[in-house]
Amino acid sequence: MGIVRARWPIPLLILIALALPATARVGGRHAAIGARGELGGKLEYCQDCHGTSGQGYYGYYPIPRLAGQQPEYIKNQLRAFNERRRTSNIMFNVAHSLSPGMLTALAERFSEFNPPPLGGAPKGSAALGRKIFEDGLPEANIAACAACHGPDGRGKDQIPRLAGQLYPYVVKVLINWTRERGQNPSTPDISAVMEPIAHSLSRSQVEAIAAFVSTLR
Amino acid sequence: MNVVRRTGLPLPHPRGKRLHARMLAVPVASLLVLGASITVAGGAAESRRDVEAKLHYCTSCHGVSGRGFRGYYPIPRLAGQQPEYLKNQLEAFSEKRRTNNIMFNVSHTLSGGMQSALATDFQTFNPKPLGGAPKDLVPEGKKIFEEGIAAANIPPCAGCHGEDAKGNGQFPRLAGQLDDYTVSKLTNWNKERGQVPDTPDPSTIMEPIAHGLTPAQIKAVAAYVSYLE
Repeated sequence: MGIVRARWPIPLLILIALALPATARVGGRHAAIGARGELGGKLEYCQDCHGTSGQGYYGYYPIPRLAGQQPEYIKNQLRAFNERRRTSNIMFNVAHSLSPGMLTALAERFSEFNPPPLGGAPKGSAALGRKIFEDGLPEANIAACAACHGPDGRGKDQIPRLAGQLYPYVVKVLINWTRERGQNPSTPDISAVMEPIAHSLSRSQVEAIAAFVSTLR
Repeated sequence: MNVVRRTGLPLPHPRGKRLHARMLAVPVASLLVLGASITVAGGAAESRRDVEAKLHYCTSCHGVSGRGFRGYYPIPRLAGQQPEYLKNQLEAFSEKRRTNNIMFNVSHTLSGGMQSALATDFQTFNPKPLGGAPKDLVPEGKKIFEEGIAAANIPPCAGCHGEDAKGNGQFPRLAGQLDDYTVSKLTNWNKERGQVPDTPDPSTIMEPIAHGLTPAQIKAVAAYVSYLE
């Protein structure tokens, strides 16, 4: 101890101690994500609200399932929050603090999670929901959800997974489509595809679809 | 009325029970005042309003202006398509000659008049191709399209589909078609088309050709036609 103190004065030791973690952080090529702790920390932050394995959570609002979600869709939505194309104050604040690298890493991690659906939907209308999901209602000009979201509701690329999504979240999103999505007319996005469909569905049809998809694994 | 004001849409809306009077009034008015109906040989008259609503429904999957859309499946471009081909395909879905669960449900609710009206309208649409195919395959695809592959007994596609790939009558337009759609059709031809042996249809023409093309050749042809306007 005596030798150390003689060769390395305390102020210098403090400087070295401060410098060490910083050096480690900028050492990797992908500095922001290179340190595993940083991605882990951000994942935990997401999981605080979206559920421990991204299965969704009934908070004050229904907070959507992210588990198994298409990475491209998650990335698109985070950008949409950022650019105010999709309105959510909370998610705006979350999204604009994420670097592009972190955004990609998080989207990929969530797509790997596979917890069972959270449940909690009323069961009565799921049969009608299945019919609309698989066949649509051609007489009422309502397209089959499966054409884009897939026969198992798992989505593809920019088309989101619906399987296991929280019932009240799906209901809320479909009812409020034109007030939450595509809010920046100068940058139209893919949400426009859903607009006429969401508009044509009656409240009870929306509830039936939401009940059905919430049970899909 | 609340519903109308809230959504800003002047159309009758199925959610609002209070709109019943208006829902009745609009079709009556359109019949009396506009007289907007289309009479097609062999089919009932379809009001312009019903046709527009159905077009909206078609394009919710087939993309803006029928330019095609990549959903869970590649959903084909209908814009500029030959009306006779479109009608043949809708009948084929209905009669299960062509297998597709979603399109079976769609087609068998369409009257003959509606099918004709939709097919006629889609031919008039002319959006730019959706794109997305690998461009490096285009030269090989162009060669196959224009010259065929004599050694493998593959005739030039242009022979039936036309030099500009716009089709003719029962021969479909290929110009601007989604490459992934074309690939999946050519790869699965004999599993999707001509599925009722008692009622053979023009799809049999393509069977030996689809069978004779290698996967790489199929990708090349699909890439080439996908960029044609």
